[in-house]
Amino acid sequence: MAALTDREQIARLVHRFGFGPKPGEFERLFSLGLSKARTSLLTVPQVDVGLSKIVPPELSDLGKFPPPNTPERLAFAQNMRSQNLDLKFWWLDRMVLADNGLTEKMVWFWHGHWATSVGKVEYALPMKIQNDTLRKYALGNFSQMSRAMVEDGALLYWLDAQLNTSKSPNENLSREFMELFTLGVGKYSEDDVKSLARSLTGYQVTRSRGDTVFLKKRHDSSIISFLGTVGSFTAPQLSDYLVSRDDCQTFIPARLWFRFISTSTPVPADLSNSFNGRDISAIVATLANHSALSDPINSQVKSPVEWFASVCRALNIVPSKLTSRTRATDYLDKLGQVPFVPPNVGGWPFDEAWLNTATAQYRLALADYLISQGDLSPVKSTSSSDGLANWLGVGKWSARTQAALTAAGKDPSRLALLAICSPEYLVSA
Amino acid sequence: MTGAGAIASTASLLTLEDIARASTDNPLPLGTPIVVIVTLYGGNDGLNTVVPWNDSTYKSMRPGISLKDSEVLPLSDGLALNGSMTGFKSLWDQNRLAIVRGVGYPTPDRSHFSSMSIWQTGSPKEHVSSGWIGRWLDTQPHDPMLAIGLGSILPPLLAGVKQVGSVLPLGGLVIPKGSLANDCLRLAYPASTDSPLMASAATSMRDLFNISGNIAPVLKNQAPPADVLPTQAGGNFGGDSSLSQQLDVVAKLIAASAPTKVWAVSLGGFDTHADEIKGQITLLKSVSDSVSKFLSQIRSTKRANDVTVLVYSEFGRRVKANASFGTDHGTSGPVFLAGNQVNGGFYGDQPSLTKLANDDLAVTSDFRDIYANVLEDLLATPADRVLNGWRSKLGVIKKV
Repeated sequence: MAALTDREQIARLVHRFGFGPKPGEFERLFSLGLSKARTSLLTVPQVDVGLSKIVPPELSDLGKFPPPNTPERLAFAQNMRSQNLDLKFWWLDRMVLADNGLTEKMVWFWHGHWATSVGKVEYALPMKIQNDTLRKYALGNFSQMSRAMVEDGALLYWLDAQLNTSKSPNENLSREFMELFTLGVGKYSEDDVKSLARSLTGYQVTRSRGDTVFLKKRHDSSIISFLGTVGSFTAPQLSDYLVSRDDCQTFIPARLWFRFISTSTPVPADLSNSFNGRDISAIVATLANHSALSDPINSQVKSPVEWFASVCRALNIVPSKLTSRTRATDYLDKLGQVPFVPPNVGGWPFDEAWLNTATAQYRLALADYLISQGDLSPVKSTSSSDGLANWLGVGKWSARTQAALTAAGKDPSRLALLAICSPEYLVSA
Repeated sequence: MTGAGAIASTASLLTLEDIARASTDNPLPLGTPIVVIVTLYGGNDGLNTVVPWNDSTYKSMRPGISLKDSEVLPLSDGLALNGSMTGFKSLWDQNRLAIVRGVGYPTPDRSHFSSMSIWQTGSPKEHVSSGWIGRWLDTQPHDPMLAIGLGSILPPLLAGVKQVGSVLPLGGLVIPKGSLANDCLRLAYPASTDSPLMASAATSMRDLFNISGNIAPVLKNQAPPADVLPTQAGGNFGGDSSLSQQLDVVAKLIAASAPTKVWAVSLGGFDTHADEIKGQITLLKSVSDSVSKFLSQIRSTKRANDVTVLVYSEFGRRVKANASFGTDHGTSGPVFLAGNQVNGGFYGDQPSLTKLANDDLAVTSDFRDIYANVLEDLLATPADRVLNGWRSKLGVIKKV
């Protein structure tokens, strides 16, 4: 097949390195041309006006769970629930309202990478702290991100670091830190897992706050032999050591390739060169400029949250202002993806996992719910399917979807529903 | 778990039409073993399921959450079933229920997510992304009907490297109607310019409409009658839990000769950190009622000897109660196998209540021994091919 046109490549970029265009954004990018459009998408502004309207949620330290069957317990559970909802919608709002979507898209990627679930952590506050850390380093230096994460309260609790003591080691964090976060599976031995677990002992987490304290007497400071080095190490030192390894330089770019370019095309051997300095923005720029983005074969399915955020952007919807936040998260839950609730430490599935009859049904229902509350003026002001493609940032409609749109007549709600449920929009073609 | 494409990426979502057609074109030969896997999410408390009611330590260590003598159904060996499990008790009395005790794996993991992943992948040491049934599928000729999960998401155990099981949503699909339906159906046509993923998106929309069509849906058939339950107007009273609904669908499809050898169903809610007794009784009753009703339905078909049910959870719970009349995440627990091909009775040692490892029950049986039974004696596949070299197994399945 022929390489994608510039228009189709810009459509890919705006959906992959952000959450799709706001009304008018795609036309603006297209008029810039491919090269400048790419630069524009990759340039995070000093002040993002869209984000400046968002007030962070007020998350207080809820303290310990009161005993069951007490009035305090009920009030506590309600507070916890409402803080969790506030947190989820704060982040969804950021995805939707940001003028430049790259930072939030990267935070979303890192959330899937350091996948931590509020299902186990339960409290919103530590999840918010982790989310802020991921945002701080989203396009920064991976060594610094990893150093921060090895002491992140939510992550440590999630992976049982508080149960990992010199007397009774727990290898959960140790294994995942190497396997999923820094090196990739099989780049270490079982003895390395044990050694790292010993050196990562001593952390205690106050779960309700996300505070991590290091207790020296619970730490195993004995000399370990670990991945070719010998010594006594602290957790940040071990993080540095892991991130400095060649396997890390290969692994992180491969994870990014998988989520931003293709789950089927093999990772090019030279991709890791751009990660030499562990600079995340450098490898992201390499991906956005990669020739693979012009190959039609490298299509990717928008995950439910990505699809939801891009629909809200197109419809000028502020997620937290929807008539029912729980109804919205119920839909996302049925579609299989709620922010802060990854299914496991490996993160979410991808591509075809999101395409089945059940998701097709719930997507139609959620689209209908969003359209009923959205701003349809961009649809009303255009009379052509080209106008709809520009509105949503679709490269081109297939003959199939063109026919469906033509048959739908002039009803803006119906046109919007078909366009946002079309294969061309669901897949970043 | 590895993120990168280690998993076959074509999960078919079956329509009833597909299954109906396959049942006619390619019916499963009578006598072919069928496995129904019941996953209990949340970590079922094994000590209040198979209860060491004669052991005084049981009551002393569990103040407030031990079952009274009147609340259990005695079996043998000083063990009893939770009193809500009358269906399982009668299967036990008929020698059609096997209880494997103290099941787990080396170095127990107390995270729901990780432990369930271990059980579903069948790989306690290495993180792999394929499921154990998925790897069995990889040894079979390609057929999306071979293994089916009920629900809207593919359970990880059905994901292989080369092929994955299919997903059948449990009723309740709401389909657009009228002219909107016509518009949506237009979106479901294939287009010559579609990438494979765009084609899948179109297919998923088409399948959605197929389900709602008037095309001989098997599910409109009446479920096979269950002989253990009182009948009224031709149907049965029975559990109305979601597990019961799932198993009802499975029973209908087995009765219709669907060419499916493995079914996966599930029930959640077993994470009983607080106020355990009442909640767990409701859940266990649902499991016991649903499974025994299901087996009873199967007995009214020609496949009475073909169907085996496997029931497991990701871990058992702590021996000691916590401060909220519940129990925290523990280690080993019992696994149930039920059906005419099952040699009833106990397998494995009951973990001691006094010789604990870190306050937890010891693991006395490895879950892979059970999987090996299922693979070799029911699915006719060498276990070591699927379980990374694992060979040992129990004698829980009768050679028929």
